[in-house]
Amino acid sequence: MKFTKRNASRRQVLKGGAAVAGALATPHFFVKNAWAQGECATLGNFPVEGPEVVFGFSVPKTGAYADEGADELRAQELAVEHINNGGGILNTLQPLSLTGQGVLGKKVTYVSGDDQTNPDATRQVARRMIERDGVIMFNGGSSSATAVAAQSLAQELGVVFMNGLTHANETTGKDRRRYGFRQFFNTHMTGLALGPVLAENYGTDRAAFHLTADYNWGHSMSGSIKDATEGEGWSTINRVSTPLGATDYSQFLTAFLNSDADVLVLNHYGNDMVNSVTQAVQFGVRDMQKNGRQVELVVPLYSRLMAQGAGDNIEGVFGTTNWNWSLDNPGAKAFVDSFTDKYGFPPSQAAHTCYVQVILYADACERAGTFYAPEVIRALEGHEYEGDGYNSASLYRAEDHQSFHDVFLVRGKSASERASEFDLLQIVSEVPRSTVEYPVDTFEGELGDYCPTA
Amino acid sequence: MSTETVSGPVRPAAATGTRSMGREALILLVFSAIVLSMPFWLPLLGGYEGLATKIMVWAIFAVGFDILLGFTGLLSFGHAAFFGGAAYVTGYVFRDHTSEIIVAFIASQLGVLVLAAAIGFLSLRRTGIYFSILTLAFAEMMFAAALAIFAPFTGGYDGLTMRTTPTLFGMPMQGLYVFYMGAIMLIFGFAVARMIKNSAFGLMLRSIKENPMRLQYTGVNVWAYKMAAFMISAHFAGVAGFLMVVYEPYVATKFLHWSTSGEVVIMSVIGGVGTLFGPIIGAGFLMYFENVVQAAIGEQWKLVLGLVFVLVVIFLPGGFVQLGAMIWRATGHKVRERRHNVPDMEPDTQRERNLG
Repeated sequence: MKFTKRNASRRQVLKGGAAVAGALATPHFFVKNAWAQGECATLGNFPVEGPEVVFGFSVPKTGAYADEGADELRAQELAVEHINNGGGILNTLQPLSLTGQGVLGKKVTYVSGDDQTNPDATRQVARRMIERDGVIMFNGGSSSATAVAAQSLAQELGVVFMNGLTHANETTGKDRRRYGFRQFFNTHMTGLALGPVLAENYGTDRAAFHLTADYNWGHSMSGSIKDATEGEGWSTINRVSTPLGATDYSQFLTAFLNSDADVLVLNHYGNDMVNSVTQAVQFGVRDMQKNGRQVELVVPLYSRLMAQGAGDNIEGVFGTTNWNWSLDNPGAKAFVDSFTDKYGFPPSQAAHTCYVQVILYADACERAGTFYAPEVIRALEGHEYEGDGYNSASLYRAEDHQSFHDVFLVRGKSASERASEFDLLQIVSEVPRSTVEYPVDTFEGELGDYCPTA
Repeated sequence: MSTETVSGPVRPAAATGTRSMGREALILLVFSAIVLSMPFWLPLLGGYEGLATKIMVWAIFAVGFDILLGFTGLLSFGHAAFFGGAAYVTGYVFRDHTSEIIVAFIASQLGVLVLAAAIGFLSLRRTGIYFSILTLAFAEMMFAAALAIFAPFTGGYDGLTMRTTPTLFGMPMQGLYVFYMGAIMLIFGFAVARMIKNSAFGLMLRSIKENPMRLQYTGVNVWAYKMAAFMISAHFAGVAGFLMVVYEPYVATKFLHWSTSGEVVIMSVIGGVGTLFGPIIGAGFLMYFENVVQAAIGEQWKLVLGLVFVLVVIFLPGGFVQLGAMIWRATGHKVRERRHNVPDMEPDTQRERNLG
């Protein structure tokens, strides 16, 4: 074997060295805003150039929460319409800086993607919207697992994430982020609202059995209900985890039937709840006596979409909801009317929270006078507002980015009580904001910097 | 020539002369150029930076997988175990110890080494469909364990979140830095795979695919070769898993799920098994489809993707590489027939005997 011997000339060495140096320096040229000035070294898609600004909507289009996702997207489209042309809660929101002519003189457009209710897919979709489509903020989602994943990414990339439907305490607790805001309430607030009512109606010595969707929201929900009911004197017999998206609950329901428990708590949402409630009813749970008393069913987090799926099975079942279309106040009316005009049916709570979040973000930009994220975030922190669909004022708490407002205790209506096919939930009581407001140190967490983590 | 190869070190690529060396260098050069310039041309097709990085991750995974499936003919349905395993180790290092990627890299590769040795040792006792099922079973056991008994460590369905920005000697690794790191890893991995393909070792692997029994009878330790191929491809998967977490400091439980193993199988099949280029093209295609085309066609994207697979498998069993060859032939060019293992063995049998 023979190799020709070659001595590198000085010119070759210099050439090679220059090539290597160039190659090493290459990434610098392409890292966006690598040498930008200002408070933050790099910052998402700021500044916004051109006559349009893009919002990103990442919602579940497939999977267990696809119905919620479809309704969220409808509401988001409506929000964009209202920001650009006026209407909806732009007529009721106070204070308000939006004029119904876009944001900061720019027309709002949007892109959307399927988060598949899967944290990994959520980050992929968000990346695409941020890096390719240049969104200035993103919103949506119907799961706390995706919400937490999206918030972390928002913090990394410096693009504000306005949470959609996410109910776990972690979203504004352990996993809170500076770049994430949540209008939706949480399981702790559900517990505060639901506990006393359950004790009042079912007694103070009940034994509960939980079926729990196996991800952060399910566990958060189950924990909050356990705390709240045990505070009223109940005991908790067992808490069983069920896979997200399960279709057969018979083995779990059998475990409940074989236990000493006389209340079945279903910490399920979306299609999971529709399936588990329907199967529980088929098992005869609602006509059953245990420990000499009537067996009761509790669904801590309700939505109209789920009620539609579960039909008569949820008659009289207690739960809580963030908002319902039947509320009688100017903000709710303005939103429900424009939504119904456009789509022919009333919006769900998932639709409401996304709608409000998008408009509140746009309003914060207008108030801050810039799309520069740290300023927009400061405009939202501690912001108190009225006319977003509640009877009283709401507040974005600065310390954890949780919004506080009234929440609603509901129970399923019987077929004879319904005025229309969408009139499924009866509001038993409006739980005032003061009842569900909890100290900020209830959950430990850290928001992080105003500049992205990078 | 022949006496030289028999007595000399085993380097068939060199043995066939400098022309082949030059060809190898040219292939590598063109490949590097295409990969390194990806951030320039991908956006023209509706892609973006993050997608380019993700393609790197999956391409590395797919190249390694081709060493096992394409060369050796072993269909593993459990490579998610190595991808996810490395991702979790990387995640722990980032979350609890240090943001230095070199530490995470070494730790994750050590993790894969142990894991692959264990799974390989147990699974390679069987061949064919039984091997596939065993690997699938091991990966699914890991997935189930991650959701159940190890949930306090893995975060269950929520996955592992961290606030770390990975660093290389203190320099934050984000955006295009991660892409270029991935690109260099892919080019290196591709070069290694080409080397294996052209080596006596690679020839042994292909012979095993062709007829393991005959080799066994000639005294070759087939099991050891399979084990080596399995370990190598597991390490490729591990590198991909590591890179995935550097790219996004988040570990999803899905990384361990059988669908992750399935995805890499699909990439290989639609790209063209055994061609090395094919699986890379397959990886690029699948990532592009899942992210860019998905956005364009809305809810029905999974249906369309399924249809594409069916069409490719029925009409293009050789994957996209076969399509390329068909077009090349149709435009009047001469196509070098895909080399079969048996004719190739002709000049090399001498060497094998020495090896065995």
